[in-house]
Amino acid sequence: MIVDTEYGVDSRYTSKNEQENQATALMEARLKRMKNLSNEQIVKAKLMQLKLKMEEYLKKPVYDKQNYFSEFLKLYIDSIYSKRSNFAQDIDIAPVSLSQVINKHREPKEEFLMKLMIHSEKAYKNVCEFHKKTWYQVYYHEKICETMSNQEKWRPEIEKKVKLSAAI
Amino acid sequence: MRIIETSTKKKYSVEILPVESDDYKNIKKDRYFFNWKTEKEEEVYKLRIIGSNDILGLVSIERIPQEWRLHIRLLSVSKENKGKEKEFDNITGNLIAHIAKIAVREYGELACVSLKPKIQIAKHYIEKYNMNVTGVTLSIEVPEIIDLINKYDKD
Repeated sequence: MIVDTEYGVDSRYTSKNEQENQATALMEARLKRMKNLSNEQIVKAKLMQLKLKMEEYLKKPVYDKQNYFSEFLKLYIDSIYSKRSNFAQDIDIAPVSLSQVINKHREPKEEFLMKLMIHSEKAYKNVCEFHKKTWYQVYYHEKICETMSNQEKWRPEIEKKVKLSAAI
Repeated sequence: MRIIETSTKKKYSVEILPVESDDYKNIKKDRYFFNWKTEKEEEVYKLRIIGSNDILGLVSIERIPQEWRLHIRLLSVSKENKGKEKEFDNITGNLIAHIAKIAVREYGELACVSLKPKIQIAKHYIEKYNMNVTGVTLSIEVPEIIDLINKYDKD
C-alpha cells in the first residue's frame, strides 16, 4: 500500500485517559534523554531561546515597564558564563560598569554595544543565524517604545520649548 | 522560512501567522483534508507565500506548559501540495519548525513538540524530522529540535 505521508496528520487525542497515559510514558522517556544532554547542548538551546525571544519582542510595540534590553543581556550572559565578571573580562570592561548597565543605572555606551555585537557573533556561530543588528534593534526598540508611551511625562515640558516659526 | 516550487526549484519566502476567524470561510475540507472548523477554539497557524493570501498549509496545536510541550493536533498541506505532483515542497517541514520555534522560545532546553501520526506514516516523520518514538507518540526535543529549526528557519 502506498501511503501519502506529507498531506497531513490528525494527531488529536480521543480521550483524556489516552492523553494522560501517553503523557506519562513520554515524560519518562524525555527525562531519561534529558539526563544525557551535554552542557554545550543546553547552552545552545538557551541561546536559541534568547534569540527567539528577542525576535518576538521586535515584532511588536511593547509598552510596559520591563527593561527588555537589560533582561535579555542578563539571559545572554547567564546562559554562557557562571560569573558575570568573566563576561566583563572577555569584553574588556569593568565589572562595575557591566553591573550598572544590567541594572539600568547607566545607558550602554556605543562601544559596549559594538563589543556585545562581536561577542554574540562568536557565541552564536555554531548555534544558529544571529543578525549583527539584533542587540541594536532591541536597544532602540525599547527606547522608542519608552519614549512613545511616556509622552504624558515628558511632553508638557518639552513642548514649551518647541515652536515652528516658519510658515508652512 | 522558504518553500521550493517543485517544477522550477525556485524558492519563495513564506510567513506563518495565526489563523483569523475570517480565514475559516476559505478553509474547506476538500482542499485541506480535515474539518478545520472544529479547531476554531484552538491555536491555529496558516502558511502562505509572502504577498499572497492563499493558504498552503495549516497546523493547530495544544500548549501543555506543565510538560514544556506543544502537541500538534492537526496538520495539513493544501490539496495541490499533496503527493508526487505537489506544487511546493517543505510546507510540512516549515510548519513543524514554526511550532518548534514557539516551543524553544517558551521552554528553552526543556522544549518538546509531539504528534501522534498513524503507524503507516510514523516512519516518515521519524526519518525526515529525526523524531523520537515513545509508544505511539513521536516527539522532538533538544538537541534535534535545534537542528530542525536551523534547517528550515532561513531568510
